[in-house]
Amino acid sequence: MARLASPRYYLPVLLILLLFALPLFVKSPYYLHIMAMVLFWAYMATAWNIVGGFAGQLSLGHGAYVAAGAYTSSLLFAYLGISPWFGMFIGGLVAGLMGFLVGYPTLRLRGAYYALATVGFAEGFRVILTNTTHIGKWKTGGAEGFMIPLLGNAPQHMQFISKVPYYYLILVLFLILVLICRWIDGSKLGYYLTALREDEDAALALGINTARVKLVAATLSAFFAGVGGVFYAQLIRYLEPNAIAGPIMSNQIVFLAIVGGRGTVLGPALGGLVLTLIGEITRVVFNQIMGLHLFLYGLLVVLFVIFKPRGLIEFLEVLWNRLVNLLERREGKHAA
Amino acid sequence: MPHRALLELRNVTIKFGGLIAVNDLSFTVNEGEIVGLIGPNGAGKTTVFNLISGVYRPTKGEIYFNGENIVGLKPYQVCQKGIGRTFQLVKPFGNKTVLYNVMVGAFLHTNNTHVSREKALEVLKLVGLHHRKDMLAKNLTIVDRKKLEVAKALATEPKLLLLDEVLAGLNPAEVNEAIEVIKRIHRAGVTILLIEHVLKAAMALSQRVVVIDYGRKIAEGPPEEVTNNPEVIKAYLGERYGAARN
Ligand SMILES: Nc1ncnc2c1ncn2[C@@H]1O[C@H](COP(=O)(O)OP(=O)(O)OP(=O)(O)O)[C@@H](O)[C@H]1O
Ligand SMILES: [Mg+2]
Repeated sequence: MARLASPRYYLPVLLILLLFALPLFVKSPYYLHIMAMVLFWAYMATAWNIVGGFAGQLSLGHGAYVAAGAYTSSLLFAYLGISPWFGMFIGGLVAGLMGFLVGYPTLRLRGAYYALATVGFAEGFRVILTNTTHIGKWKTGGAEGFMIPLLGNAPQHMQFISKVPYYYLILVLFLILVLICRWIDGSKLGYYLTALREDEDAALALGINTARVKLVAATLSAFFAGVGGVFYAQLIRYLEPNAIAGPIMSNQIVFLAIVGGRGTVLGPALGGLVLTLIGEITRVVFNQIMGLHLFLYGLLVVLFVIFKPRGLIEFLEVLWNRLVNLLERREGKHAA
Repeated sequence: MPHRALLELRNVTIKFGGLIAVNDLSFTVNEGEIVGLIGPNGAGKTTVFNLISGVYRPTKGEIYFNGENIVGLKPYQVCQKGIGRTFQLVKPFGNKTVLYNVMVGAFLHTNNTHVSREKALEVLKLVGLHHRKDMLAKNLTIVDRKKLEVAKALATEPKLLLLDEVLAGLNPAEVNEAIEVIKRIHRAGVTILLIEHVLKAAMALSQRVVVIDYGRKIAEGPPEEVTNNPEVIKAYLGERYGAARN
C-alpha cells in the first residue's frame, strides 16, 4: 500500500483506469472504432518492437504475420466453426511458426539484407494470398478478399454489435503485451537482445548464441502480430490481402515504432497512439487526398531519425519525470 | 604446480587469400600462467586471438583447450567453454550503463537478474570501475573503456582470458594502474594470454613470452632471454627503421 502512495505507481494505475473508463464517456461507435484502432496500432508496433526494436532486426514484413493470424482464425471459424477466442491462439501459433521459418534462414543476414529478406517473404505471402481462391474446399477469396460470416451479437464467437467489447478486448491484449515486453526488457533475454542490437560480435564473445536469441525474438514478435491479426479480422470482418498482408500494413507498423522510440518498452505504443490520431485527423480534414497520412508518417520518420532518433518517448520521459517530481515534492510538503 | 597445458595451438595456419596471416604456429599456455604474445604491427597477433575465439577457422592445425579440440566452435561456444576475450578496438554497448554492460557477461552462468547484478558489481570492484557503474559506456574515457572491456569478459568467469592490447593508448600512470588490475585478475585464478605491442609492459607482466613476426613464431621464453634474441631485435628494429622511413 505504501508503494501505491508514490506517483511512480499510482500514475500508471490512474492512466490504466482512465483507459478502462473511456467508453463510459465516449458513446459514438465511430469514435469507439477509432479508439480501438489506435490501440490496435499501438499493440502492433509493440509486437514488432520485440524483434525490430529489442533485437534491432529491421523486419519489414510483419504484415505477413498479421495476415497469417487473421486468415487462420477466420477460415477455422468459417469452415470448422472454431471460435475465434480459440482461433486467436492457433492464429498466433501459425504466425509464430511462420516467424520462426522466416527467421531461420535469415539469421545470418545483417542490416539491410535482413530487411530485404523479410520484404521478400512477406511479398511472396501476399502474392500467394492474392492468387489463392481456394484451399481444398475452403474458399479463401483471393484478391477479392474474405468476408467473415456475420452472426450479429455472438460473444462466444467474438462478434459484437457494440464497439465497446472490441475496445476492451484490444485494451486487455495491449496491456498484456506491454507487461510481457516490460518483463523481457528487464530479464536475461532483454539484456541479450540489447547486446545483439548494440554489437553482435561483442555479444558473441560474451557467450551469447545470437542466432538463437534472434530466432526467439522473431518468433515471439510474429506470434503477437498474429494474435493482433485475429483481433483485426474480428473488428473489420473483411480480409483483403493487399491491405492486411501488404506493405501498407508492414511499413505502417515500422513507422509507428520508429517515431515512437524503437527498442523501448512504451515508445512504439506511444508512436501508435500519436500517429494514428494524426492520421485520423488528416483523413477527416483532407478526406479527398487518399494516403496523405502515410505521406505524413514517412515525413515524421525522416524528421525523427534525423533530429530525435530516440523517438517521441524521450519527450514523454521528460514530462513524466517532471510530473513525478512535482507530485513527490507536493506530497513531501503535505507530510511535513 | 605441475605444468598442465590449458591452451595449446598445434601448427595453426590461416590464409586470407594470398596472405598467410598466421603460419604454422604452435605454442602452449599452462594453467595459472601469464603469457605475452608480442610482435610488430601486423604480425598476426589479433588474428591468433580470432582463431582461438572461433571468429576465424584455421586453414590448418588444431587448437586445444582443456585437452579438447575447439576448432570449428562458434565464438559463443568458445566463450561458454571458458575463454574470455577483449577486442583491440573496444566494443562497449555504448547506449547502456557500465553495470548493464557487465551484467550481459554475468548472465552466462545465471538466469537471475539479481545474481547477475551482484556478480557484475563484484567484477567492477575488481577492475576498479565500480564508481562509474551508472555511467553510459559511450561516455567513458579511454582507460575506463579498456577496463570495461576487461570487466565484460571477466564477468563470464573465464578460465583463460585473452587481452588484446589493453595497455595501448594509456599514459604511464594508467599503464601502472592497469598492470595492477591484470595482476589482481591473475591472482584471482585466471590464466592470461595477453597481446602487447609495447614490449616493456608485456615484459613486466608475463612469465613467458611468445614472439611472432609475419605470422611465424620467431622466439619463445622468459622475457629477459627473449629481448636479447637477435631475431627479435631485428624484427623490432626493422619496424622502427621502417617507421622512420615513412
Ligand atoms: N579478415 C582479414 N582478411 C584479410 N586480411 C586480414 C584479416 N584479418 C587480418 N588480416 C591481415 O593479417 C595480418 C595480421 O593482422 P593482425 O590484425 O592479426 O595483426 P596484429 O599483430 O594484431 O597487428 P597490430 O599490432 O597492428 O594490432 C595483417 O596483414 C592484416 O591485414
Ligand atoms: Mg592487433
